[in-house]
Amino acid sequence: MELFRNIYEGSIFFYGLAMLIMYALLALLSFRGVIRFKRKDENTDYTCMLNSVLAPGISVIAPAFNEGVTIISNVRSLLTLNYSRFEVIIVNDGSTDDTLDKLIREFELREIDFAYNERIKTQPVKRLFKSVNVAYDKLLVIDKVNGKSKADASNAGINAASYDYFLCTDVDCIIEKDTLLRLIKPFMEEEYKKVQQIGEPCPECGYVHIVEEGVRVIAAGATLRLANDCEIDQGVIVRVRPPRKLLPRFQEMEYIRAYVLGKMGWSMINCVPNVSGGLGLFDKEIAIKAGGYDHKSFAEDMDIVTRMCQYMIDNKLRYAVRYIPTTQCWTEGPPTMKVFSRQRTRWGRGMAEIITIHRKMIFNPRYKRMGLVVLPCSLLFEFLAPIIEFTGLLYYIYLIATNSINWDYALILLAFVYLYSVMITTLAICWDQLTLRYYKTWREVIGLALMAFLEPILYHPLIVFFALRGYWFFITGKKSNWGNMQRQGFGQRRTVQTA
Amino acid sequence: MNFSLLDFLESIFFEFRYAPLIIQVAILFVFVAISLTLVAYFSILRRRFRGFRRDKNVARLNELIDELLIDNVLSQDPESVETPGQTAETAAQAFHLPQFSKRRGRQVLIDRLLNYRNNVRGAMGDEIRTLYLLLELDKDSFKKLKSRKWNRKVRALNELSNMEIGVADVIILPLTNSRNRELRAAARHAYIKLSKNEPFKFFDLATEPLLLWDQVELFRIITTTNHIAIPNFAQWITYSNNKSVISFCLKLVVHYHQLKAIPAVLKLLDTKDHLLRAEAINCLGKMKIADAEDKLAYIYNNQPLNCQIEILKALGRIGSGKHTEFLKQEFQLSTDFELRKHAAKSLTNSEPPGSELITELLETSSAENKLILKHCMNPLIKF
Amino acid sequence: MSKILLIEDDEVMSTIVKRILQKAEYQVDHVRNGKEAFEILEHTGYGYDLIITDIMMPYANGFEILSKVRNIPDGRQLPVILLSNAGMDDMIQEGLKLGADDFLKKPVLPAELLMRIRRLLNKEVS
Repeated sequence: MELFRNIYEGSIFFYGLAMLIMYALLALLSFRGVIRFKRKDENTDYTCMLNSVLAPGISVIAPAFNEGVTIISNVRSLLTLNYSRFEVIIVNDGSTDDTLDKLIREFELREIDFAYNERIKTQPVKRLFKSVNVAYDKLLVIDKVNGKSKADASNAGINAASYDYFLCTDVDCIIEKDTLLRLIKPFMEEEYKKVQQIGEPCPECGYVHIVEEGVRVIAAGATLRLANDCEIDQGVIVRVRPPRKLLPRFQEMEYIRAYVLGKMGWSMINCVPNVSGGLGLFDKEIAIKAGGYDHKSFAEDMDIVTRMCQYMIDNKLRYAVRYIPTTQCWTEGPPTMKVFSRQRTRWGRGMAEIITIHRKMIFNPRYKRMGLVVLPCSLLFEFLAPIIEFTGLLYYIYLIATNSINWDYALILLAFVYLYSVMITTLAICWDQLTLRYYKTWREVIGLALMAFLEPILYHPLIVFFALRGYWFFITGKKSNWGNMQRQGFGQRRTVQTA
Repeated sequence: MNFSLLDFLESIFFEFRYAPLIIQVAILFVFVAISLTLVAYFSILRRRFRGFRRDKNVARLNELIDELLIDNVLSQDPESVETPGQTAETAAQAFHLPQFSKRRGRQVLIDRLLNYRNNVRGAMGDEIRTLYLLLELDKDSFKKLKSRKWNRKVRALNELSNMEIGVADVIILPLTNSRNRELRAAARHAYIKLSKNEPFKFFDLATEPLLLWDQVELFRIITTTNHIAIPNFAQWITYSNNKSVISFCLKLVVHYHQLKAIPAVLKLLDTKDHLLRAEAINCLGKMKIADAEDKLAYIYNNQPLNCQIEILKALGRIGSGKHTEFLKQEFQLSTDFELRKHAAKSLTNSEPPGSELITELLETSSAENKLILKHCMNPLIKF
Repeated sequence: MSKILLIEDDEVMSTIVKRILQKAEYQVDHVRNGKEAFEILEHTGYGYDLIITDIMMPYANGFEILSKVRNIPDGRQLPVILLSNAGMDDMIQEGLKLGADDFLKKPVLPAELLMRIRRLLNKEVS
């Protein structure tokens, strides 16, 4: 018994230590990343990109399901993004309300014969529409049979997309107007350095095939925030404000930590685990070759990035997934406990799924940083964290029950973990304020930062519980009839790292 | 009181000394965490306060600058030919204010003037430049250029090039191959814009690649600066080892419709690099080089997909009608959807909608091909 | 005195254009985005002699404004000038297709701006 106790305590100690060190490193890396980004950004003239014939085209894909209330203003705001070569593809995923009718009326749509190339299999596409009004010629509307997932709808959009890059978002997400300019930049900044010739002339074409020894950016993402209490006017954010209600407020804080500190830090060592489903720009060719979104997955956004990386490594191509620290997208976060629990349980289930589906890549040196850093970190610090925390709690209860606890030491350790998590969160908010001074007053920022003191007590236990519930559903294979409901507004998924 | 506090500290210290290592480390980090949290709070507040003050300051200065410019520079009659420089001189007098004597204020002034200059051309734009010189703001820019920080250097280069203030080649040229990407790009842009004799010299010297992002800005500068003498880009297309320079030159060839560079582009069709080859084909198509058609159709079968697509597009753009049969065949027989689509697109581009060929194809094609044809003929769909 | 509506979100650009026009003794109203533009147009019953509009703006871009103006009886004859950035030739084509009367490339040449305005306004009279 004593031996078991020592082993358990020892391994928990090292696990905890590793996690703390990882967070410290992430904080340092993301600080460098944010500072570097800021310096560059100050000297970047995005306007010259606006009018250039050299700008790469981008297809903005936004699936919509029963969004009749807001669809018009949201599509309008997508159409007024600052960019020259782009199209907006709205995928009406079998809405049962007047979403499609409203679109047809407002934007003067006509059904067209569209050569739809089904490169990724989806539910049948019924009709495609374009506007007869030249002012809306960037708009393409797809009407398809409901596929019960955002992934299926996005895939239909990818099939119809005519440009080389696509931005995946949700109709109810509010996108900052310079988003395309900012997100395409990382793709255009990688250097294609040396050109290598490989092997003998190809018997088919007579040329020696060449491979560019450069890094190809396959995806890029940016920070997401909650739109809950922001002032929004016809699909445009007028004033950024942290949510007033407690639950969304915690989420806002969590998002900032996960994006500005987490993803930005990972981006510095090219180990970004996933790009959020709420906003991400992808290389279409690679996304299609990797098979598009998996409509069965509960974590389709992490899944597609993992598979795209896998495709690149399997084909011996160098790649990068990049992040920018500025907030480009605002999304409606679950305001009530019921919806929130659904969302997080789903994320937990998705996490378990990713770990099992891609288990062959974990600790596989062939998959380099993906197999040795990204996925192991996801496994250890995201997937296992709730389980370990839960066992830790049980262990504490056991110690208290058998009265063998050293209260002084236990409290010191607790205080340490607590304060460390507060510190990490506060640093994240501090980094976030470095890029742009979000929020109008200092009171709002401090008010948000103070939530870090409540988080470990109120919010964190919920996250752990819902994650465990998700794992449980995954193991028992519980059929979920959440269908479309949970997709509305909460389609975005990103893994939040828990401290 | 004092005594008890000491006592307390002593007991803590005692506890600390004899605690296990983990606890000692934990206690240490408790203090680290507390202090870092406090520092973070402090810096958030400081940043916000400073930023708020700076924004207000900048807004006030901008307002003042706008007013002064409206009264002094923008008030001139755009159609009358006044003696140039005269308005600027009176304006310069007006700008001799204490707000613009400090570095910060001068920087705001520089930024605002640049902004004005980027929005207005002609005599009024020149007045802005003269004003910049009369206020000796160029000295500030040159001082920044000597700074050791790359971002200040970049800023200086932007200011000088936008105001078209000459900088010696010896200063700029080394920077065009700097290891720092941003600096390298800014130096190249400034060089192109400012160099009197050979603005394209760095094409020869460029060892580092031209990033796509920088190409965008370079392209804008080259195509919007008036005095640049456009060289024959064939020299780099033929001789440069830098792939990105070649690909950039191809885009410039298209923009300037430089027919004399075409032989060099045609030679590029034999390059081993299929990406570059595709760009060369694209260039030939956009230039509508009818002489290239036969060669393109001839090499078609040996090409990888991306080049095949480009060839089909090019044939459609050239649209001489010589290779209609080829396009038709490709449209009917190819197994690849994209190839069929591009073949159809090129056919519908070169043939009038009601023509015999299109009607015939519409009647005889499979359902999918018919859909492709209709897609391509629909004026609402661009791609 | 002719009334001109300027729709432009860039502060400096609008200051310049406004000043040039005022100097040439036109009455200028300035709004910053598509929403305000629609509001003021509704409010004044399209009571302008000429509209100068930027293309990329929040809420509604220049093309939308243009197509809306053209779809209204009062606005069919209303001259519209597009302000575009250099290099946006495709966009200019598109704008002219939609019924824009003229376009101006940024950076503007003040004399050119006035010349185009006069030409359109005079055409209107004759």
